[in-house]
Amino acid sequence: MTRPIKASAGHVMLPIDRIARWVLIAVTAFSILLLIGPSLIVIAISFEPRAYIAFPPSGFSTRWYQAVFANQQLLDSILVSVRISLAVMAICLMIGVPAAFASIRGTFRGRAALNAFLLSPQMMPGMVIGIASLFFGAYIAFRASDLMLILSLSVFCLPFVVRIVMARLADLDPLLDEASANLGAGKLETFARVTLPQLAPALCAASAFTFIEAFDNVTVSLFTSDVRARPLPVELYYLVQFDSSPIIAAISSLEIGLSFVVMLIIAKAVGLERLGR
Amino acid sequence: MSQLVIENVSKAFGTQQVLRDCGLAVDKGSVVTLLGPSGCGKTTLLRSIAGFLVPDAGRILVNGQDISHLPPNRRDVGYVFQNYALFPHLTIRENIGYGLKIRRKPKALIRGKVEDALGLIALTDFGDRYPKQLSGGQQQRVAIARSLVLEPEVLLLDEPFNALDAQLRLSMQIELRKLIDRVGITSIFVTHDQQEAMTLSDRIAIMRGGRIEQLGTPLEIYDHPQTPFVADFIGRANLIPVAIRSGRTDSPQPIAAAVPDGPGTLVVRPENLTIAEGPGPGWEGSVGFATALGATIEYEIDRGVGEPLRAILPRQPGVAPLTPGSRVTARIRDEAAAILLSGSPRP
Repeated sequence: MTRPIKASAGHVMLPIDRIARWVLIAVTAFSILLLIGPSLIVIAISFEPRAYIAFPPSGFSTRWYQAVFANQQLLDSILVSVRISLAVMAICLMIGVPAAFASIRGTFRGRAALNAFLLSPQMMPGMVIGIASLFFGAYIAFRASDLMLILSLSVFCLPFVVRIVMARLADLDPLLDEASANLGAGKLETFARVTLPQLAPALCAASAFTFIEAFDNVTVSLFTSDVRARPLPVELYYLVQFDSSPIIAAISSLEIGLSFVVMLIIAKAVGLERLGR
Repeated sequence: MSQLVIENVSKAFGTQQVLRDCGLAVDKGSVVTLLGPSGCGKTTLLRSIAGFLVPDAGRILVNGQDISHLPPNRRDVGYVFQNYALFPHLTIRENIGYGLKIRRKPKALIRGKVEDALGLIALTDFGDRYPKQLSGGQQQRVAIARSLVLEPEVLLLDEPFNALDAQLRLSMQIELRKLIDRVGITSIFVTHDQQEAMTLSDRIAIMRGGRIEQLGTPLEIYDHPQTPFVADFIGRANLIPVAIRSGRTDSPQPIAAAVPDGPGTLVVRPENLTIAEGPGPGWEGSVGFATALGATIEYEIDRGVGEPLRAILPRQPGVAPLTPGSRVTARIRDEAAAILLSGSPRP
């Protein structure tokens, strides 16, 4: 017998609605599994006591984490990556924030073109940016080096900063600047007291995103990094070719942890849902 | 001496002339409204006084000092924005104290003035809330208080009631006028709502096409409009095209004319028309529409030519309104109150 069931919202719920709801739940659960499943498997593998990759792990051991911290080459590459990511973050903020201002508040001709140009690296595969940087570097007699890596990654990451800051700026009422001026504040004071406090969450999010993007980028880094000072992703890329021990899983798990912490900070500062816009 | 003087101010945006030779003098403590349809230049003039725009020509003086070339933050002129432009990341107290803080006033003084201002706008208990937690009317009061704590020479208000619903509007208008009188601050309003202008102003400047078309007290403008546009904009008016010949109009009810012969416009307020059933000496037509408004009835009378006439008559209880289609004759009740202007109604 098909009897309508009263749902909590007060709508009449038909059996077909119930089926649809279960399908929705199943699809959602499956998608979440696909998204976080690999990460969970990597974390599980990292605790494998034996010297090869196996899932499920045959026991529990932290020996590969110890191995990571005992491996000077890996530690060096982590330091390289941190240094480079911080530099990329700084450059992207210095260029991206003023660019976002020009793009949202500017009234000059060619604003739309500037906009498209600023966001264009996002449409380009990282590998193309890497190869292009390498060739361009060769042309101007500029070797693959830390500086080269920083510049090429900055090109790659700039759109993240521009987009996040633009989204927030578009929400800011330009009349607030006039109101501030009318109450006696000069341009700098208005920026410091009105614009910056409202922009701070976006800047925080943009910095975090840029750091993560630069930190785990392989596609660009492969072409533009210095062979004597490899960043972590490139180091790992070479490592997997010769080493199939769970040390890879251990270091990947550490990276997952880092990303998780950063996302947590962003969520606290901005609210993740606001980044979607 | 007038506190605020605007001298021959002109401004163009590209090829579009938005202000043409505007002049205005406002006495200390008085309230002037810039009234006109959208695009008439009223907001541009207000923004010029605040310094958000620099006029192409002319001068703006406050207490005899030319402020035309000062940046907005160096002018002693308060501005209340249409959307209030309260700082969303600051509390109500911080919003009101913003200007004082910028001026590096001592903390104790700021605290005292902010509390006084909160009391003045009756929001003492709301000081620690954020703007979006307040209603539109409350936000507006905060915006006004934020300007008033700085004790500016002049307060400028850009359509301050636009964002409020109709219910609240009239009571807020009266409240605001009382507040302005209490503080005694020279104020300039911008609005496109003539009722608002009548309620608030000591004087109204009617603007059109970048010019101030007429300046006067609300009743002066209502009773003696100088152009058909002003007559139509302040209050409602029937604008009847007439020809003037040897000192009289050629209308069915001739009016003595003090203007030269030629085309003219007879301005008749709807309440100054009476109607009688059947033909007679006056404007004949048929009732097109009747609206009973309680105390009054408003009739639209189609004459076959030109725009319908509007008449507002007191309603007598128990007497049914005339039905649409009835033949009637309209006459001017008080010929002395009819206004005759030279020129056709819509130049």
